[in-house]
Amino acid sequence: MPQIRFLPQNRVLEVPVGTSLLAAARELGLSLEAPCDGVGSCGKCKAKASPLSALRESSHEWLTQAERAEGWVLACQSAVVGDVEATVETSLSDGLKILNDGQAVAVALDPWVRKAVNPALGVTQVFAGDQVLAIEPGDTVAHVYGLAIDFGTTTLVVALNHLRDGRELAVASSLNPQARYAQDVLSRIRIGSKPEGLQTLQRELIQELNRLIGEVTASAGVATSHIYEAVFSGNTTMLHLAVGTNPASLGKYPYTPALVGATHELAALLGLAISPHGLVYLPPIMAAYVGADITSGILATRLAELPGVTLFVDIGTNGEMVLAVDGQLTATSTAAGPAFEGMNIACGMRAGRGAVERVQFNGEGVAVRTIGEAAPIGICGSGLLDAVGEMAAYRAIDKNGRFQANGASAGRPWASQWETLDGVAVFRLGGPVYLTQKDIRQVQLAKAAIRVGIELMLKANNLGPENVDRVLIAGSFGYHLRAPSLINLGLLPREFAGRVEFVGNTSKTGAQAFLLNRQTRENLRAITQKVRVLELANDAAFEKAFVQALAF
Amino acid sequence: MSNQPETLYRALSDAVVGMDEEKTRQLSEQAVQTGVDAYTAIEQGLVDGMNRAGQLFETEEYFIPELLLCSDAMYAGLDVLRPHLKRDHSVARPKVVIGVVEGDTHDIGKNLVKIMLEASGFETIDLGRDIPPKRFVEEAVKHEAQVIALSTLMTTTMDGMAEVIQLLRQAQLRERFKVIVGGGPISQAFADRIGADGYSSGAPGAVKLVKQLVGVAA
Repeated sequence: MPQIRFLPQNRVLEVPVGTSLLAAARELGLSLEAPCDGVGSCGKCKAKASPLSALRESSHEWLTQAERAEGWVLACQSAVVGDVEATVETSLSDGLKILNDGQAVAVALDPWVRKAVNPALGVTQVFAGDQVLAIEPGDTVAHVYGLAIDFGTTTLVVALNHLRDGRELAVASSLNPQARYAQDVLSRIRIGSKPEGLQTLQRELIQELNRLIGEVTASAGVATSHIYEAVFSGNTTMLHLAVGTNPASLGKYPYTPALVGATHELAALLGLAISPHGLVYLPPIMAAYVGADITSGILATRLAELPGVTLFVDIGTNGEMVLAVDGQLTATSTAAGPAFEGMNIACGMRAGRGAVERVQFNGEGVAVRTIGEAAPIGICGSGLLDAVGEMAAYRAIDKNGRFQANGASAGRPWASQWETLDGVAVFRLGGPVYLTQKDIRQVQLAKAAIRVGIELMLKANNLGPENVDRVLIAGSFGYHLRAPSLINLGLLPREFAGRVEFVGNTSKTGAQAFLLNRQTRENLRAITQKVRVLELANDAAFEKAFVQALAF
Repeated sequence: MSNQPETLYRALSDAVVGMDEEKTRQLSEQAVQTGVDAYTAIEQGLVDGMNRAGQLFETEEYFIPELLLCSDAMYAGLDVLRPHLKRDHSVARPKVVIGVVEGDTHDIGKNLVKIMLEASGFETIDLGRDIPPKRFVEEAVKHEAQVIALSTLMTTTMDGMAEVIQLLRQAQLRERFKVIVGGGPISQAFADRIGADGYSSGAPGAVKLVKQLVGVAA
């Protein structure tokens, strides 16, 4: 059998002929970036292999001629036929920024879980609602804690709160370990639709959660056995995977969730390392792509109580949005695709060290800033939106998105950024990082998806962009964006200028409000039941509006 | 303007690629009035313009809106010219059954492929979106199609493409149809794995692929 040696880890594995480099790396537990789960459509699992004759490659797509000449291959598209050495990158979380705070709502302290001493019996009763959850010997009333957990597709945030005074004692965050198997939500649904896949994804998630729980309890000096409730906030798919419910129905029209939320699960059954009597609360879920994270956002921003017209948008691979018109809520979601995660982009990468995160055109040319102030190695979503926003504003692309490499650039400070690579024009941002015409097209598709959602939701309420009083951008990706870039791109209408606020991780802060006040649960259940959810694909005006929204 | 028919064909082609619907219609009417051959005006004018638009789309110079505007112009011209086709041009055109697989409602990509196929002289039977595997087979048999074209944007529904191929095999019909696949999560490797006859990442490429598979000169 052929032997593969992975560098720099120096790990060796013998595999049957025909095994892909990606499969071999996974067998060794090396976490290569493979967001499309080896389908061959994202171009991120690059490896440098030698000799190339030991591999049978089924696709060169995504590799430049220079890369191929240097021996780069896609790990998922390379079947091993002989002994080979492969150099791979595995630093999944290097310098990744995770946003673990956001706009919070002040709620009265009235948690679902509380404790009371029974002096006569010398015990402490733990109540969940009006039911007795557990009885503990002695007086333990001072020790009653809860968790607010935000399950992002990419990141996890765990906050530990004291339920007697409401204080946040500690927060920990990490990458969602499921991302090693598949980056995007649909690929996770695909994996999770099979029993063994669901088991794997759930186990990985719970293990990582337990590690984070260990972290927050250690730093706060709290016993995990004194945590009685965890609020699971996250998108609908993540919640299905977290509680081990088959997500298959989410991946197929009419996209019906198997969970509706506003329910409790037993923590022990999920393997969650809190009190053996502990409960998990799932906030109300509105639709397959409008999940509990958005319900938390409605709560954290008091969206249903705001006067006038407010648009709440979580910009991401799936753009979820809620329009509040004097307490009347309409929600929808839109498939922006993976461009915002830096995927399907020639030099795209996740928001890690060395990623270009800011781009600004100025009198001298193009200024870029990278995460960690490191030498640029790629571009992440926020940098990409900045770059394309600037290119649109400075007419380095025309209104249709076409590169203006000739003529129109002449004499401009950024004219020298144009280069030719493999016979086509690219726009150099700095170091090895450049944008291609195809990258612009990917951004157009992504931004048009969000924009069309906004337009059709406004239309459904007989409103125009000029009627919107405030725009709240939620989510950790959104937090790193700049309003002018979003407007230059046309992701947001021009009329929104000056009305945009970034509210941060409201999935986490909303989860905390659920944790600390039981009444919010009933309130939000009533609010979400009245939300009108729009399915954009069924809107006859969708295609036309989408095509219009592609323009800059 | 010169009265040479070639000049008129070129102007028609330019109007289509220039996204000028009104001008395409006017030039088509002019072609009818001056009595030039409608078939040649379509082939060397409208279709040529749409092919040029397809090339610009492939090199990323044109994008979805431009391609759709060009096709609007082409269809406007076809409306004028088609009634004037002589009967001997109404030869049977190769048929393609096209649709978005079950569970998926995203159909812009499918619509682009359909436009480009029609521009290249294929007859398309558009089943729409969210189409069960069985229907692709039934419709292909019913219409005596040569090609089945399957599209999806969603990773969660792409296995439906393999099902179509399975059904064809079970019904001993696999050899009768060429099956092509495309869409966001689809790759050549996926096409190979499920035993499809071809994959294309874009609409103009899909036309080349279909031509190649059914043996029509490009």
